[in-house]
Amino acid sequence: MLSMNNVKKIFRTDLVETHALNDFNLQVDEGEFVAVTGPSGSGKTTFLNIAGLLETFESGTYMLDGKDVSKLNDNQRSVLRNQKIGFIFQSFNLIPDLSLFDNVDVPLRYRGFNAAERKQRIEQSLEMVGLANRMKHLPSQLSGGQQQRVAIARALAGEPRFLLADEPTGNLDTKMAHSVMELLQEINQKGTTIVMVTHDATLAAQAARNIYVRDGRVSELHDVSAMPEAVNS
Amino acid sequence: MFETGPILRALMRNKVGAILIALQIAVTMTIIVNSIFIIMERKELMARESGMDEANSFYIRSSGFAKDFNNQVTVQEDLAMIRGLPGVVDAIQVNAIPISGGGWSMGLQTKPGDDQDGVGVAVYMVDEHGTNTFDVDVIAGQDFNASDIIWRDGDRNDWPDQILITKAMAEDLYPDEDYRNAVGKTVYINRNEPIIIKGIIDKLQAPWIGWNGLERVMLVPQLMDFSAYRYLVRTEPGQRDIIMPKVEEMLASSNKGRIVRELRSMQETRDRSYRRHSAMINILTTVMVILTIVTALGIVGLASFSVNRRKKQIGTRRALGATQGAILRYFMLENFMISTVGVMVGAALTVGLNMWLMQAFELSRIDWYLIPVGMVVLWLVGQIAVLGPAKRAAAIPPAIATRNV
Ligand SMILES: Nc1ncnc2c1ncn2[C@@H]1O[C@H](COP(=O)(O)OP(=O)(O)OP(=O)(O)O)[C@@H](O)[C@H]1O
Ligand SMILES: [Mg+2]
Repeated sequence: MLSMNNVKKIFRTDLVETHALNDFNLQVDEGEFVAVTGPSGSGKTTFLNIAGLLETFESGTYMLDGKDVSKLNDNQRSVLRNQKIGFIFQSFNLIPDLSLFDNVDVPLRYRGFNAAERKQRIEQSLEMVGLANRMKHLPSQLSGGQQQRVAIARALAGEPRFLLADEPTGNLDTKMAHSVMELLQEINQKGTTIVMVTHDATLAAQAARNIYVRDGRVSELHDVSAMPEAVNS
Repeated sequence: MFETGPILRALMRNKVGAILIALQIAVTMTIIVNSIFIIMERKELMARESGMDEANSFYIRSSGFAKDFNNQVTVQEDLAMIRGLPGVVDAIQVNAIPISGGGWSMGLQTKPGDDQDGVGVAVYMVDEHGTNTFDVDVIAGQDFNASDIIWRDGDRNDWPDQILITKAMAEDLYPDEDYRNAVGKTVYINRNEPIIIKGIIDKLQAPWIGWNGLERVMLVPQLMDFSAYRYLVRTEPGQRDIIMPKVEEMLASSNKGRIVRELRSMQETRDRSYRRHSAMINILTTVMVILTIVTALGIVGLASFSVNRRKKQIGTRRALGATQGAILRYFMLENFMISTVGVMVGAALTVGLNMWLMQAFELSRIDWYLIPVGMVVLWLVGQIAVLGPAKRAAAIPPAIATRNV
């Protein structure tokens, strides 16, 4: 599904060069649920952005679904994101001026579905996250946990094969975090591949596979308790 | 492809800025369209031709003051001298100048009597060189001969037996007949004095550009035994500016018993007479340009503000699969929708302002096609103005969605 080989990412500013990813190697298979942990600034978000085609990289290869994505132009990357990848963000990133219905509609319109199909998909995915009865509400009328559920509905409405989440529970209290985690597991069980960055060790432990990122490199962990650094949160 | 519905619903939640811009567009359109209409009307007025060879004509005023000043002799000597100058086509003594603002008018009636309606007409007193100097053609009947010309005494108010009139005057006198039939007919001046129409000239304008009888003119075969009058001179093409000072010099030096002044080309006369119109055109043009710029800047401002405010949202949309083109389209379409409200309101306001101007200043009804033209223009102004901010929005990187929370 996802295969990164020696991926290197450098951020250049006037003063410094940050090697955010160094020879980053990772293989994620179809249907996996991978939790990514690591200290702040280690390159987790950078990895996720590259995996999600939000950013380009300097060298190395990245095959997404068997396709080398380094040669794609901006438009092709956008289309691929739209078709194959769903995003969940720490701060939900719902569009505040749009109702839940219109929020979930956003990626579906870029996909070019017709109105009837979009409506059906929106209702279905809001149903799945338990918010079908609040379609006309604005994001501001929901709790944080509910907002993240809407974001998950939005990410899944186009039925992507690959779901990327950057600290999806980072802004939620423990109870809400767990319910979001349960939802993600449910989704994973239906076949969607998930890669989730988190600071929360207990949540990470619920994922089938954990990887640890440090200084832009991966060290795979199978035993969560052996994590070199107590994960804060 | 087009997110009309969501854009509209999002706009409804941030109405104030959009409404202000729509109103600005409406007001701009109202003022622009009405200004263009007024400008077009003024330009049409300014484009009317006097019938003269304006580019090559000028006039000068002679006023005798000496006790022993002999008008008749002076006029004949002056005219012979001016007409003899190389480069001069012809010259006349005349009482008034077309489109200059000052002159004489009389009323002509087709039947004698105090109870009859007269038709107002401008009077030019000329000799047999009149038509050639004015550069007009006799299109029916006969021109004046030298023998037709009589001297008009400054104290007496008598009129000769025959006149030439413009085609427009003939048609106003005899609205039901062909203008050629006017030749040989008798009309009455001062209610009861008969005059025969000797001929019809094609076109010559009266002195007053604001008069609705501007095209109604009669030529009277009279030389003026007055102490003050003008000479109108027509030159060969390109000779005017050379001959003007020569004539002034000649007149001043040939007779010390008079003063010459008011040496003026017809071109200058036209510019002076239409000055108010051209000033109005300039003012309205300036207002239009300024308003358009202000509106365009307002659109740029609102769009830039909303792009900045929505950076995160734009990044999120990109992350969810929006191409750069989709982001560009979003802002262009949003502006188009705001502009549409603006130009709709603008169309109504345009008609309203025109109706008010019709009542208050007797303007005519606006040409309907100017309204769609105005709408298209403001749509274009909006689209061009929003292009910069929209391009900046499209350039926002998708990684914004995950960065700087
Ligand atoms: N746009 C950028 N320009 C310059 N440097 C950047 C940029 N984005 C990230 N970096 C740097 O790259 C490194 C990796 O950042 P990244 O955001 O991937 O870390 P992270 O593991 O997600 O951290 P956190 O847990 O705090 O979210 C950091 O040193 C960061 O400062
Ligand atoms: Mg991060």
